[in-house]
Amino acid sequence: MSRELTELDSVVTLQKELSKSKGSLKSQLQRAERQKQIRSLLLILPLVCFICVTFAFPIIEMLYRSVDNQSVPKGFPNTTQVMKQWDYEGLPSMAIQQVFMAELRERYADKTLPKLANRINIEVSGMRSLLMKTGRKLNKTNALPVNHQELIKLDKRWAKPRYWAAIKTLSAPYTLSYYLAALDMRYDEHGNITQQPETRQVYVDLFTKTFGMSLAITLICLVMAYPVAYLLANLPDKKANLLLIVVLLPFWTSLLVRTTSWIVLLQNQGVINDLLIWSGVTTERLAMVHNTFGTIVAMVHILLPFMILPLYSVMKGISPTYFRAARSLGATPSIAFIKVYMPLTMPGVGAGALLTFILSIGFYITPALVGGRSGQMISNMIAYHMQTSLNWGMAAALGGLLLAVVLALFYLFNRIVGINNIKVGG
Amino acid sequence: MALPSYCNTRERIGYYGYLGFCTLVFLFLIAPILIIVPLSFNATPYFTFTEGMLSLDPEAYSIRWYSDMFSSNQWVNALKNSTLIALSATIVATVLGTLAAMGLAANNVPFRNTIMAFLISPMIVPVIISAAAMYFFYTRLDLSQTFIGIVLAHAALGTPFVVITVTATLSGFDHSLVRAAYSLGANPIYTFRHVTFPLIRPGMISGGLFAFGTSFDEVVVALFITGVEQRTVPRQMWSGIREQISPTILAVASMLILMSVLLLLTLEMLRRRNARIRGIRE
Amino acid sequence: MTTPQEYVSFQHVQKTYDGENLVVKDFNLDIKPGEFVTMLGPSGSGKTTCLMMLAGFETATSGEIFIDGTPVNNLAPHKRDIGMVFQNYALFPHMTIAENLAFPLKVRKLSAHKVNEKVESALNMVELEHVANRYPKQLSGGQQQRVALARALVFEPKLVLMDEPLGALDKQLREQMQLEIKHLHEKLGITILYVTHDQDEALTMSDRIAVFNNGAVQQLASPTDLYESPSNAFVAQFIGENNQLMGEVIEIEAKKRCTVKVGKQQILARPVSVERAGEQTLLSIRPEKIMVVQEDDWYENQVTGLLKELIYHGDHHRLVVQIDGVGELVVKVTNGSHSSRDFEVGGSLTVGWRSEDCHALDCPNHAEQQGEAA
Repeated sequence: MSRELTELDSVVTLQKELSKSKGSLKSQLQRAERQKQIRSLLLILPLVCFICVTFAFPIIEMLYRSVDNQSVPKGFPNTTQVMKQWDYEGLPSMAIQQVFMAELRERYADKTLPKLANRINIEVSGMRSLLMKTGRKLNKTNALPVNHQELIKLDKRWAKPRYWAAIKTLSAPYTLSYYLAALDMRYDEHGNITQQPETRQVYVDLFTKTFGMSLAITLICLVMAYPVAYLLANLPDKKANLLLIVVLLPFWTSLLVRTTSWIVLLQNQGVINDLLIWSGVTTERLAMVHNTFGTIVAMVHILLPFMILPLYSVMKGISPTYFRAARSLGATPSIAFIKVYMPLTMPGVGAGALLTFILSIGFYITPALVGGRSGQMISNMIAYHMQTSLNWGMAAALGGLLLAVVLALFYLFNRIVGINNIKVGG
Repeated sequence: MALPSYCNTRERIGYYGYLGFCTLVFLFLIAPILIIVPLSFNATPYFTFTEGMLSLDPEAYSIRWYSDMFSSNQWVNALKNSTLIALSATIVATVLGTLAAMGLAANNVPFRNTIMAFLISPMIVPVIISAAAMYFFYTRLDLSQTFIGIVLAHAALGTPFVVITVTATLSGFDHSLVRAAYSLGANPIYTFRHVTFPLIRPGMISGGLFAFGTSFDEVVVALFITGVEQRTVPRQMWSGIREQISPTILAVASMLILMSVLLLLTLEMLRRRNARIRGIRE
Repeated sequence: MTTPQEYVSFQHVQKTYDGENLVVKDFNLDIKPGEFVTMLGPSGSGKTTCLMMLAGFETATSGEIFIDGTPVNNLAPHKRDIGMVFQNYALFPHMTIAENLAFPLKVRKLSAHKVNEKVESALNMVELEHVANRYPKQLSGGQQQRVALARALVFEPKLVLMDEPLGALDKQLREQMQLEIKHLHEKLGITILYVTHDQDEALTMSDRIAVFNNGAVQQLASPTDLYESPSNAFVAQFIGENNQLMGEVIEIEAKKRCTVKVGKQQILARPVSVERAGEQTLLSIRPEKIMVVQEDDWYENQVTGLLKELIYHGDHHRLVVQIDGVGELVVKVTNGSHSSRDFEVGGSLTVGWRSEDCHALDCPNHAEQQGEAA
């Protein structure tokens, strides 16, 4: 409305009427509010897109890889189709077997068989050689085997159902086999889920060890951090700030530097062993690094600040009058401390312990450098599968499981402490 | 915290025991770091204190590892790469993170907590998972073993810090200052330049320093997605530790410790300056 | 729409946040140039919202606001050329005092020479030349307040808005500042719209006061009129102290006097909000208008009761008198006219007052009216 119009009485009356009709005004106000919301969202958008592309999509892709099984269906499309008719009883029909053989020969001829054979080998070891050998033989002839005997002549193993079962299990585009393997299970020759053979049961143990070590580390950190946080919270500010530097400097020092110093300290020819021998405490050099002990010591050192800082923050907020009130009511210092002070510090304990545990189970560097063979954690296995065994599906599945655990714990952390209360660097 | 005179012997023992325990913990925290520094001056190529060093014989000390470090192509390149990557990643992280924090500061954002959780997730997810995921994805996009790839990855890892610090700064921001500026005749742009920005700058710088430190120290993602040309200092150290060839890594470690000290001091100075300026409301 | 008499004009201004509940209901106010008008009321009564609408930080959902004849509903706040003093001063913490004062001048692109000149004279005006290079944090509350005032005046606006600026100061400093602001107002001749919840402050400083409650103006009048002739129960209660008696109107005599039955007594009062006999009414009498009856005194209203309490207040006494069937009356007696020896707690006491000092007002239960007063 232009300004001249507003001068007219009729328009003024109209305005009054409009203001009385709550509906239009309410929607006007809501529209204005929504405009403000859009403006805020526009500011957030660039970062959200950036994180999506550089972080979220990769994670989603990784999770996809953990169930992706496209290679076999793509390599053996017809087999995949016809295998649906077999129900794991006995052996597949000859027709099915022939379809497979035909495609096996094709794959050998166009040289894509080795990769597929590797994939299938992960399910049942030994199948790589079986497939390569059979493929080579088939490639030399023009005719496909027409009956059972000719097939067995190519290789005896084709008489066993489990090899056929493996092929069928792998012909679904999505598979849970990686996740099953991560939990030490597999599909057997009937397509049911069973345990892996004893010799291949590694992952559950590894998970248990990782969680066990992390729990131990968290408890040790808690025991060490509690008195220190109490001291820091109750000292006068100047002294406390000075001692806080002793806590913050390790926190700010490079992870590699800290791990290096522990290697230097704990190794056979290292400073601590030198000290022990020199002071006569032991006569032999102790193996303190490249094992579980080394991992735990180094990780406690690295995670201790994460336990001290939340505890310190909570303790600083506790008024000394509670303790005094308890004493004035007749409690001894120990009782006052246990029954009054400690419960008040529980939020800090919860926050610190949860944070330490979450960080600990995801650690890679320290176990990799000081863990040796016995101090390995889940993350090291993930790296192994990525770089050495090139079993990316397995790496993805283990990563997926670890991610699920961390997210669940973090959800718990958020319920107790809240994201908005994270303070970085104090 | 002096002991009151009415304490009995058991309480005294408990008290001194507690102080002793705390001292041990403090030693545990700081000793490993401090040990590195003198060891880096070891004249012999070993990782322990030699007899000469313990008896403070000046012959037993030398700066050969430092000169090695500065004259070695590998280390100098690694330093260049690390600095360049960290700077680029920090700039990206600071700009994107500050914008997002400003958007999140308004009360009217729907799903604010969910968005916040999403933006902080790179900090929460174990870095091995991020590294694996980025490796798969970047390889597919041909970004693996490129400069841009590692910068993007480090920027993603650094933005949560900027978001957290700038959000914290904004939550204490006095909005009546903006109104005052308007009432004095300043338009929104002038107000942002002269009133809002100077007051959130400390938060931005803190966050930026965190992001820089994170990138400079980052080794796991670097392990997976850098090639030889983008080798960073931590990546180089990793090889050095694995093979433990020479105490040059101790010299590098000492330099990194020095950097941490400087970073810590800068942050502390910023915090004090910020508190002084904000003191009007404390 | 405005004659030259009004510098600021609110016309039928309404404000709602959710489209249903009105925070400000049909607000009308004309402020003459050079006038000092205070908006007074409890928290949440809408007074600050009206101030913010004038400043441009809130928009009226209906109605018009004019400054010097120009409608300003669609004018952005930074173009309105109004000085504003905020409750928490809002001094820029990262700038020195001089830089704070220079800010509005630099925005208006004045030359450096002029800027320095005006900053200096502003500092002189509030007697703070010596803190020019300090930061706000280093100043006391009172000094910060004076700087905030100087900053709002340095660019010589014609209209200044103040949002409870003295709330954070202690009593003595507050009273001192009230006088300083009043003197500045008289010296500079600017128009001031002031918001406060402190009625003493309003009474001291204003030319006119608008008393707010629940988003509506209860009465708009000079301090004297407001105090001596409150137009409804809320204003009577809010401004100054008063004794309240509930009663029923017996008869009304031509707008000058009415008879009200309170308990067993018949009280003569001045009818303010009552129209006819039989109405319930609230009688309001100021403590200082009740006199202790001496030997030859005669008052239109006279009652005898029991002296329950005698409280010493330095320059005056407060007597709490219990009147049978009427209630308790608080009487204020200055120590010039009586001394404590004249009174005996527990003894009987006769007090009296004139009918024109006793106002027959509306009963608060009936009044949610958006009354506009003279």
